[in-house]
Amino acid sequence: MASSVSEKAALLAVLNPQGQPTGAIKALDLAPRLASLQGKTVYLLDIGFGGGFEFLQATEEFLTKKIPSVKTVLKRKPGNMLQDTPEFWADVKANAHAVIFGVGG
Amino acid sequence: MDYVERDARNHALRLRFSFTPHTLVGKSVETLRQFAAGNDPSTAQPILQQLIDAVTKPVRPTEKMQDVRKEAHPRLVEANTEENLQRLFLESGWTDGLPVVLPTEARVAEMLTGTDHDPNEVMGEMTITTNQEKFLFTVEKVAVNAVMAGAKPEHLPVILALASMKEPAFPSSTTSFGRMVMVNGPIRDEIGMNYGTGALSPFNFANSVIGRAWTLMTINLGDTRLGETFMGSQGNSLNYNNMCCAENEEKSVWEPFHVQKGFKADESVVSVFRGWSFINSMGAPNRRGAHEETAILLKSFCAIRSAATLVMDPLVARGLKEQHGFDTKKSLTKWLSENVKIPAKQYWGADLIYAFMEPLAREGVEPYATWSKLPPDELLAPYNEPENISIVVVGGETNPLWLTTDQWYTASASIDKWKPKKAPQPSGSNCKPLRMPTGSLCSDGTCEVP
Repeated sequence: MASSVSEKAALLAVLNPQGQPTGAIKALDLAPRLASLQGKTVYLLDIGFGGGFEFLQATEEFLTKKIPSVKTVLKRKPGNMLQDTPEFWADVKANAHAVIFGVGG
Repeated sequence: MDYVERDARNHALRLRFSFTPHTLVGKSVETLRQFAAGNDPSTAQPILQQLIDAVTKPVRPTEKMQDVRKEAHPRLVEANTEENLQRLFLESGWTDGLPVVLPTEARVAEMLTGTDHDPNEVMGEMTITTNQEKFLFTVEKVAVNAVMAGAKPEHLPVILALASMKEPAFPSSTTSFGRMVMVNGPIRDEIGMNYGTGALSPFNFANSVIGRAWTLMTINLGDTRLGETFMGSQGNSLNYNNMCCAENEEKSVWEPFHVQKGFKADESVVSVFRGWSFINSMGAPNRRGAHEETAILLKSFCAIRSAATLVMDPLVARGLKEQHGFDTKKSLTKWLSENVKIPAKQYWGADLIYAFMEPLAREGVEPYATWSKLPPDELLAPYNEPENISIVVVGGETNPLWLTTDQWYTASASIDKWKPKKAPQPSGSNCKPLRMPTGSLCSDGTCEVP
């Protein structure tokens, strides 16, 4: 705490330069997990960065060797990674038991 | 790799991540197969089993996320000494690393004489990331950042126009974007901007503070936090000033940029561009025209969005018109569009082209669909949309030189909308507007150089 007039006079009040937050981001819980992948459908989704699709191709091959009853669907996301694609998500939600997103780069 | 996890948590998503050795891009298919068969380097566990566990092992209580809530902050920072406040601003990440002019209420009030708009007017929201929470800002918040940049009230209309576009000066990307600010119209001379010799160098007060203000607004209004929201792997030194300058309309043989965009010549307008880099012409065109030289330089860029921006000295523009017949900017961009050609393998080999243009090819959009089937060595013309090549004329005619940039035009905004009815008066004992030396640039004969 300033103890003299000169020290008090040297204190400046300034404005905060930051913008204001617009609201809380709501947490999304993880979906319940599957008991196993036996007989399940797993979508492997590449979002378009380099190397991702080829990596997922190899992952698909190894996964089906490890769990022969799993059905895998390897897809490239339509549009680029910044575009929302609601129809595609609807397809994934309707047909996949689990999703592995591949972010290459 | 952990920044990906942190980014997800910033979005209140507790996803289960597995990592490969970094990077995947540019690796052979065989190497990628080895990655898939190998371990996650962050856990030393087999990645395949880790992926299976990620979708089958039950969710743990520790994986429950709380809502991410940022608290609103008070209008004023707790009062303190100048020295302590400079330290606070720097250590809080509110600056560009350089000392700022502290935004006292008196200074902000003086800055706000640069517009008639209400300080509490909500201008909009900004973020440097595409899907992150945006921050709300007002006219006053822009004025605060303008004060910090060292600007004066006469600069505020330009800074407000910049802010009104709600675009950050450095959108977050590992690629590290760089941008350009271009001003047209009468305001250039009203506030003493430089559009001649050294326009892009640190020799002009208005050019410096306006460019800096956009940087500070991006940091403070766009929620820029290094390693949290800003992920540029190297960063970009263009971010300090954003190539802020004005067009040399008087010396240009072509129509001004803002007129091309539909504004009247006597309107004051600010335009912004976005990309990464520029190539200096490295000398004047000698045995070939500047258009042919530019065609060589443009092959160095990946031509994303078919976009480029040329920043050329008036001498270059005049030479292109008088010696090579390019009567308009449009005729030059058409020629470049038709004559810049690269092998298909070069085009598709760029990661950003693969990420952004290959989806179009897959969807059957031409010409990308046809280009995707070309033999690797067959030539294609990547700047297929000439309207995406922009040209601005800047420079002082010391030599016919120019910059070729990979930037694309994004938006323009009226500056006039933000100007006050009565121009603000310079304060201080001098009462003259602040101007830096303009050097011995005589064009009226007073320097007596024949």
